[in-house]
Amino acid sequence: MAAHEAARARSLWSLFTAGCVLAGCAVDGSGLPALDEATASPDVPVPAASPAPDAPTESPRRIVSLDYCADQYVLGLADRDRILALSPDAREAFSYLRHEAEGLSTVRQRIEDVLALHPDLVVRSYGGGPRATLFLQQAGVPVLALGFMQDIDAVRATVRRAAATFGVPERGESLVTEMDAGLERAKRRAQSVDADILYLSPAGVSAGPGTFVHELIETAGFDNFQRQPGWRSLPLERLAYETPERYAVGLFGRNRSHVDAWTPFRHPVATRRVAEGPMTPIDGATVTCGGWYLVDAVEALVESAG
Amino acid sequence: MTGRALLWWLAAASASAVVAACLIGSTPLGIGRVVAALAGAGSPGDQIVVWEIRLPRALAAFAVGAALGASGAAMQGLLRNPLAEPGVLGVSATASLGATFVIYYGLVDVGAFAMPLAAIAGALAATSVLTVAALRVGSMVTLILVGIGLSSFAGAMMSLLMNFAPNPFSLADMLSWTLGTVANRSFADLLLAAPFGIAGLGLLALSRRSLSALTLGEEAAAGVGVDLPRARRLVVIGAGLATGAAVSVAGAIGFVGIVAPHLVRPFVDHDPARTLAPSALLAGLILVVADIGVRIAPTSAELRLGVVAALIGAPFFVWIAARRSMSNA
Repeated sequence: MAAHEAARARSLWSLFTAGCVLAGCAVDGSGLPALDEATASPDVPVPAASPAPDAPTESPRRIVSLDYCADQYVLGLADRDRILALSPDAREAFSYLRHEAEGLSTVRQRIEDVLALHPDLVVRSYGGGPRATLFLQQAGVPVLALGFMQDIDAVRATVRRAAATFGVPERGESLVTEMDAGLERAKRRAQSVDADILYLSPAGVSAGPGTFVHELIETAGFDNFQRQPGWRSLPLERLAYETPERYAVGLFGRNRSHVDAWTPFRHPVATRRVAEGPMTPIDGATVTCGGWYLVDAVEALVESAG
Repeated sequence: MTGRALLWWLAAASASAVVAACLIGSTPLGIGRVVAALAGAGSPGDQIVVWEIRLPRALAAFAVGAALGASGAAMQGLLRNPLAEPGVLGVSATASLGATFVIYYGLVDVGAFAMPLAAIAGALAATSVLTVAALRVGSMVTLILVGIGLSSFAGAMMSLLMNFAPNPFSLADMLSWTLGTVANRSFADLLLAAPFGIAGLGLLALSRRSLSALTLGEEAAAGVGVDLPRARRLVVIGAGLATGAAVSVAGAIGFVGIVAPHLVRPFVDHDPARTLAPSALLAGLILVVADIGVRIAPTSAELRLGVVAALIGAPFFVWIAARRSMSNA
């Protein structure tokens, strides 16, 4: 009798477990696009279920971007009415084209949510995780993986590649031409600059040779005070003995007041030195993600040199 | 070695460790330059490096260790359990939760005291829960489990706040509270936490006589005139203040409060009252030495002090627990 009851209990438990698993699978399975409710635009049409093409045969008309780096390229190059959804960070202070993102829908970086939108192109840099591209391609959705831009040449190539994929190669060429003209102007003005500069972020990180910011510093005609390669902690002890002629501080809009409790940036030695200045504030959004807008950062640096 | 000799030895070793910590950094400074800078006679650069960068960091490691060591020794005396410690019982984690809460809601801008007050409030909440639990449950194992539960709950709440961090900068800030470090600490940080830490250590010192009597058991202690509720209040508030102050300076650093009292106990005849001061000194010494190790370790990014303390302390905790289990069998 006891054995019978135990077997019955096991059956009920199995049924309950199976029910839970099925219920889990049913969540978000309505086929409706999982747009962020707070930002979903009523203008975005919910398409009838239609298979996404394996590869775009014509210019994509339903573009989704998965992270704020991809957002910049989509916002900067694609037609607005072809943007189906951006990442939730598109309007954050660290997103350069945050104002252009106003009024557009956002989608969380879940593959299931993205697929429910039936995009014909997904653009990503890091959004969705390392297997996102594989998952999306298996589902027949073309993916434009932007990668990470380490230098200005990579930015040129990426702008051209993204523009070609969006079906607007002339727009990409125009952006590159504009960027190069801006850099050329900056270089001409920077010829008289003979000073070193230390770039630092509120997180207490400075940029040395081999970083994107280092290239911007040199383009603006400055010498980089940070001589150690890569992204480094602020050289506090070195600042006790020598100081750069100028500081460039990357700030992020409303986050400018958030100084990490652990950063060397809030150490009295650093705050005193930066206060002794002069200090050039740089919109942090211009040096993130590697976009054509890096010209703004270079111009701000050149401007600071007078 | 007598208890007094141990105290002198630990004080001398701690002072030597602090001076040794002043010798290490990205700028090569010999002992002569460090001593000259400490005496106020070196170059301005040397004085800035020693007085503003290296010395505050070394003193922060010592002060945090001392607060956690004394708190651990007092909690072990009160609960009569060598496994009781701010980290194990969730006091450090709850204090970190207080700090994380302040960051999440942007209360850092309210004032410089917001962070230490939040950390201390978290620590006091945890010590209060533990005391109530200690009064209600007779089993020390249950009490440890309550502490582990508190620690897990605080960890879960911190994960929740980190999950919804408003931006990557806040997230990195919150994460650092769980790892524990004295990097980039200045005298300003130490001065902010000092009133709370000193008050906490003072209250713990006042509980010394009661802790000694408690080794006889609560009834016997009451029989010799110990005011048990007062003793509990002293330890709970003292440990809460001291641990909260330590966490506000360095984040959550666990296990040092268990290792130091355990090593000290045989030298003071297992008297909880006489364990307090040497435990504080030894825990401070351990953290200063561990921080020197952190700084000279050939790693691409600097190791976090809390991580190193846990790597040393967690096996120690298991060893003590296993020994207790074997001796009880």
